[in-house]
Amino acid sequence: MSANARALPPPAPWWLRWPGAAVVAAGAISYRVCEGDLAQLTSARARDAVAGFVGGFWPPAHSTEFLSSLVRPALETLGIAYAGMTLALFVAAPLSFLAASPRVFVTGGDQPTRLHMALHHGVRALLSFMRAIPELLWALLFVRAAGLGAMPGVLAVGIAYAGVVGKVFAEIYESVPRGPAVALATAGATPVRAFAFGVFPQAMPLMTSYTLYRLDCAVRASAVLGLVGAGGLGQQADVALRMFQYDETATIMLVLFGLVAALDGVSFLVRRRLERSRGLFPHGRVALRNRCLAVVGGTAAFGATLQALDAPLWEMLLPSSVTHVAEFAAGMLPPDLGELGKVGTALVETLAISVFGTLLAAALAMALAYPASRKLFLQELGDEAAKRFMVRWQLRRVVHSVARGVLNLGRTVPETLWALLLIFAVGLGPFAGALALALHTAGVLGRLYAEALEEVDLGPARAMMNTGVRPGLAVLAAVLPQAFTQLIAFTLYRWEVNVRASAVLGLVGGGGLGAQLHVALGLFQYPQAMTLILGLLVLVLAVEQLSARLRRALGSGGQGPRAAVAAW
Amino acid sequence: MLRLSTLALALLMALPAHADVLRVSAIPDENPTELQRKYQPLAAYLAKATGMEVKFVPVTDYAATVEGLASGKLDLVWYGGFTYVQARRRTGNAIPLVQREEDARFHSRIIVSARSKAMSLADLKGATFAFGSVSSTSGHLMPRYFMTREGVVPERDFSKVSYSGAHDATAKWVETGVVDAGALNESVLQRLLDEKKVDASKIRVLWTSPEFFDYNWTVRGDLPKPLVEKIRAAFLALDYSNPEHKVLLDLQRTRKFIPTKPDNYAGIEEAARAAGLIKDP
Repeated sequence: MSANARALPPPAPWWLRWPGAAVVAAGAISYRVCEGDLAQLTSARARDAVAGFVGGFWPPAHSTEFLSSLVRPALETLGIAYAGMTLALFVAAPLSFLAASPRVFVTGGDQPTRLHMALHHGVRALLSFMRAIPELLWALLFVRAAGLGAMPGVLAVGIAYAGVVGKVFAEIYESVPRGPAVALATAGATPVRAFAFGVFPQAMPLMTSYTLYRLDCAVRASAVLGLVGAGGLGQQADVALRMFQYDETATIMLVLFGLVAALDGVSFLVRRRLERSRGLFPHGRVALRNRCLAVVGGTAAFGATLQALDAPLWEMLLPSSVTHVAEFAAGMLPPDLGELGKVGTALVETLAISVFGTLLAAALAMALAYPASRKLFLQELGDEAAKRFMVRWQLRRVVHSVARGVLNLGRTVPETLWALLLIFAVGLGPFAGALALALHTAGVLGRLYAEALEEVDLGPARAMMNTGVRPGLAVLAAVLPQAFTQLIAFTLYRWEVNVRASAVLGLVGGGGLGAQLHVALGLFQYPQAMTLILGLLVLVLAVEQLSARLRRALGSGGQGPRAAVAAW
Repeated sequence: MLRLSTLALALLMALPAHADVLRVSAIPDENPTELQRKYQPLAAYLAKATGMEVKFVPVTDYAATVEGLASGKLDLVWYGGFTYVQARRRTGNAIPLVQREEDARFHSRIIVSARSKAMSLADLKGATFAFGSVSSTSGHLMPRYFMTREGVVPERDFSKVSYSGAHDATAKWVETGVVDAGALNESVLQRLLDEKKVDASKIRVLWTSPEFFDYNWTVRGDLPKPLVEKIRAAFLALDYSNPEHKVLLDLQRTRKFIPTKPDNYAGIEEAARAAGLIKDP
């Protein structure tokens, strides 16, 4: 990051001369398109709804009967996440070798073969397709095509995540130092061997740590998949919310929060261990044996999980299942191009939801990131004067806890559930969707922003404070500018994610493409559904391109996979 | 290695296709917890009557039950009239077995907030409106069909049309003012009022539809004939004066099941075609 930030950015294209104006215009237009009405938030109905939530959420439901009824869904959610993630790895690992730029395999002056180039482009397109369709939509399709229960959930997480994991793995291979591979190739190693011993071991720690991070996401995702009938906690939460049983909703959210936090802790410990050991081929036979045992154990656990979930993945390979899926897919073709106007409107609305939601989230996250950072707010740049006055110091601690709490809450509650809540406050439609997106995204971005702010050089800020500048001002003037391009990169990555998310919000009454898709799927109008999916695909890919260009233009595109890892 | 994978493949092919399990499901027109409660005793009863293991498969997507029947993953499903028509069109041979006596003359109702000034369908112009699921008969198709016949075209006359997903959700949306009016099935509305899940002082019934055929129990067309007859007989044998059966029938909110046939649903198919909800290729 630092090397890039110091490099002189290239001159901005004309449409970025006034980035502030562009952002304001984008915000205003998207606000209009998604029928924004911030006054709604202070209306009597919103007050009633919020009073209802607050009164209803506390105390969370804690009867033994209800708690025990959550055990199975909670385990199911974990099981779907684990099985889905393992499936994603099985699919993504082989694809990632082809998705990586062929130059990674070629050392010296050779050109990659035509076949390799063709495969490379094909696989990249395939991965784009797999991740352009949100997992909730994959689940909806698999519920139709592949049956009921946990299986569609596992398949949906597996396919959608394979698309992301394959891409990120490929970017990791491309980003590791080339020295060892070149040295091996010069000494006569074949390209594949040079890759296996020169590139792969270096990529391994980051890949593992990304996989673990992704498992966290999978738990959240599989909790949501219940909304379309894939079991797990999401189904319970959906039911409880629709029935206004807020106390039960609160408990379910706490359980989900606990699961994610516990997993976070475990994966932190594993990652720390991995950082200490070295890559794929550790010193010593015992370590190697342990590693092999871990792989075998993980695979066995995968099988056992599928068994427990009653999701016989292998049955998908039976001829009858293959025929059924193929028939289902064929039934979606050719896409119905009769109502392109309606599709266009829905696409614009979806885009508007994603833009407004992301901008609002960025603003919220910006405001909360500083107080949420322990290092900046309490430790390194804590107000020395405040420390002497206990009351002010305690107040600072309270503000810190509240900011962290808000971000954690925003992040833990999936946007689809936020939308189910918000429709009672602001009514049905795209605005509820945009607000839901903003709340969840603010949680994600706030944490990323805080981490980015903590990584910069604090010297200038300390110097300013020594001359009597207040800490908040010092952060604004001396910390924020250093991390700014990084923050923008995170925001743009998140925007890419949010385009998919806003397409899904319609499924729960949040407007946009999802609403039409829901109707088309409900009426078995599969060719129409196909048109909508293709429209979504175009939109997602266009936004991905635009975001990449913006990042390049702002000189914040070159952080390599770490930024992508963090934001995806 | 090759031998090992051949063996694995052979094992795959030899997996049994769950021959002696009867898989039962229902469209998710109410919340899934309620559905589980409703169908568990019925599953036990059918297990005794057929001598098979009966498994209730909860589903939260209407259309998934249709695909489930078509792909042979479900054997017996509780359908609404419209989902039955879709299942019949999708499979060509699904057999409607029985229905509750009240399903032969079923109604939808449109409810509004008690404070609403609307007195007739025409007064709803410009209002926000909720149907249940898109695939619902009494929560979408029939109210849409009859409203259109009375000159109210939802997409033209309402300011916003949305789908709550289920009857009980529609009632809640109207009660809390998320929408101005909503259409739902009379029997779910009655239950919600009886159980005080919806406050009777906050809503008012604005309109009741003409009667139509609704829900039925449908089996897969390629089940063995004797089994189909056993299932039909089991339903018809339910007797309200038998205390054990009464529990089961009360959960289904009926007193008696009666036989039904495909012709009963020709009207629904016509309505769906007229409302543009099914299109012939």
